[in-house]
Amino acid sequence: MTRAVLAAALLAVVTAVLADDFLLRFLAEILLLGIAVMSLDLLIGFGGLVSLGHAALFGGAAYAAAIAARAWGGDVLLMLGAGIATGTLLAAAMGVVILRSGQLFLLILTLLTGQMVWEVAFHWRDVTGGADGLRGLPALSFGPWALPGAQPLFLLAVLLAILAWLVARSYVAAPIGRALVGTREQPIRMSALGYSLFAVRFRALLLAGAIAGAAGALYPFVNLYVGPQSVHWTQSAAMVIMLVIGGIGSLWGGFLGAAVYLGIQTYLSAWTDRWQLCVGLVFVLTVLLLPNGIAGGMRRWRGGAE
Amino acid sequence: MPDLLGYAAVQTLNALSFSALLLLNGLGLSVVLSLMNFVNLTHGAFFLLGSYVGIFWLGSGAPWWLAFPAAFLASGLVGAVLERFPFRQFYAQPHLMQVLLTYGLSLIFADLMRWGFGAQILTPELPETLQGVVFILDMPFPIFRLFLIGAGVALGLALWLLLDRTVWGAVLRAAVSDRGIVETLGIDTRRVLTLVLVLSAGLGGLSGALGAGMLAAYPGLDEEVLLLALVTVVVGGLGSFGGTVAGALVVGFALTFSKVWFPEFANLAAFAVLVLLLMLRPSGLVAPPLRRI
Repeated sequence: MTRAVLAAALLAVVTAVLADDFLLRFLAEILLLGIAVMSLDLLIGFGGLVSLGHAALFGGAAYAAAIAARAWGGDVLLMLGAGIATGTLLAAAMGVVILRSGQLFLLILTLLTGQMVWEVAFHWRDVTGGADGLRGLPALSFGPWALPGAQPLFLLAVLLAILAWLVARSYVAAPIGRALVGTREQPIRMSALGYSLFAVRFRALLLAGAIAGAAGALYPFVNLYVGPQSVHWTQSAAMVIMLVIGGIGSLWGGFLGAAVYLGIQTYLSAWTDRWQLCVGLVFVLTVLLLPNGIAGGMRRWRGGAE
Repeated sequence: MPDLLGYAAVQTLNALSFSALLLLNGLGLSVVLSLMNFVNLTHGAFFLLGSYVGIFWLGSGAPWWLAFPAAFLASGLVGAVLERFPFRQFYAQPHLMQVLLTYGLSLIFADLMRWGFGAQILTPELPETLQGVVFILDMPFPIFRLFLIGAGVALGLALWLLLDRTVWGAVLRAAVSDRGIVETLGIDTRRVLTLVLVLSAGLGGLSGALGAGMLAAYPGLDEEVLLLALVTVVVGGLGSFGGTVAGALVVGFALTFSKVWFPEFANLAAFAVLVLLLMLRPSGLVAPPLRRI
C-alpha cells in the first residue's frame, strides 16, 4: 500500500512537471470530483443509501470556500476548514431529515433537501451571486507562500485524493464501516445486535459530507469560478453516473468514472454537440454489461487470468 | 383594491389545474411503480415526447382533439419498444439498478429530443375553443386550465374504474401479487405487464400534450416533470390510487401558493413543506397496508 501511494505521488510530480496548464486543471477536476464520488460510494456502495443530493454537500462546500476566499484570501487550510465544516454541517442537516426513511423515500428526500440548497444558492444573490455564481477568486496560498497556477492546485488535489482514499479505506475496514455494510445487508439483525441504524448511517453520512466538502473546497479554484450548477441535482446525478461507470463498492472506481465522464464531456464536446447522448449510451451500456463498473470488470478479468 | 375572494378563487383553480396535470402524470408513474415494482425514470421523457407530438399536431391543422390520443399513442409505442428491451430484464432487479438504467435512458432520450426538436421553447397553438378566459368573481381565468381540470378528473376517474372495477384490472392486480397462479389460469402475464407499461407511457405522453398548454415544451422540462411526478407519488404514498390523488393535490397547492406568498423563494418553501410532510409521514400520506412479510 505504501508502495502504491509512493508510486502515485511520484507519477503526480512527473505529471505536474510535464503536463500543460489545461491538462493539469482538467486532471485536478477529475481528482476532486473523483474524491466526491468516492465519498458517495461510502453511502451507495457500502451503506445502500442512494443519494441524489450529494452535489449539495460538494457544491455547498465549494460556495463556502469561495465566499471565505473572497473575504479572507485563499489560504489552503482556511479553504479546507470552511469546506469540511460546511460539508459536514450540510450532511448532518440532511441526515436528520432523510435517515428515518428508506429506499425510494430516501432518494426523494435527498433530492428535495439537495434542491433546497440549490434554491438558496440560486436566489440569495447578495451572497452567492445568484445565477452568475462567484468569480474573481484570489489565488491559493499556504501561510505566507502564494500557490499560483495549475501545478500547486493539481498537487494539492493529488494529496487530498490520497488522504481521502486512505481515510475512506480505513473507515471501510474498521468495525464502524463493517457495521455500515451490515445495516445495508441485514438491518433487522443489526438492530437486534444492538446497533442503532440511525447512528451508523448518520456517521457514514457525516464522513461522506466531510470528504466531499474537502474536495468541494478546492473545486472553485479549478476554473476560478463556482456557479449554481455545481449544487444542482443533475450534478448529483452525474456523480452517481460516474460512480456506476467506475464501479460501485470499489473506492478507487470513482476516480475512473470521473475521468471517463469528464473526458467525454471535455474532449467529445469539442467535435460533437451530442456528448450527452454518448454519456447516456456509455452509462446504459455499463449498467447492462458491467453492473459493477470498470473496477468490477477489471477485477473479474484479473481474477479470470489468474 | 383587488377582489380578495376572486383572487383566492383563481389561485385555487390554478392550483387545481396544476394538480390535475400532476395527477395524470403521477398516475402513469405510480401504476408501474406500485403494480410492477419498477421505478421508471424515463417517464419524464414520455411526457416531453407527448408535449412535442401535441404541439406539432396542433400546429398541423388536423382536428385538435386528436392531438391527445396521438400523444398517447406515440409515447405508448416508445414504451412498448422499451418494455421489450431492456425494461423486461430489469423487473426482478433491485430498485437501484432500475433507477440507473432508466435514468441513463432518459439522458439518451433527452438528447435525442434536443437533437430532433431543437433547443428553443415551443408553445402550442391552442384551438379557438380552448383560447380566451372566463371571468370568475370578476377575475379572468384561462379556459384551457378549466379544460385541464376537467380532463384530469375524467381521465383519473376512468383509470380508477379500469384498475379497480374491471376484470382486466383484477387480472393485473392478481398478476402482481401471485404471478404463478395467474399463469396457471392461462393468462399470459408478460403481456399484461407490457400493457401496463404501455398504458403508463401513454399516460405520460397524454399529460405531456395537455401540459404543453400550461408549461410549453423545452429541453430540461422532462427532468423537471419527472421530479414533480416522483415527488407526487412518494408524498402521496406508494401503491394506492388515493395516495397519488392526495400527493398531486398537496404538491399542486404547495407549489402554487408558495409562488403567491413567497415569490422569490417559492420552491424552497414548497420543498420545505413537502420534506416536513415526509418526515411526519415517512411512508407518504396514504400508506397502504403492507402486502409482503
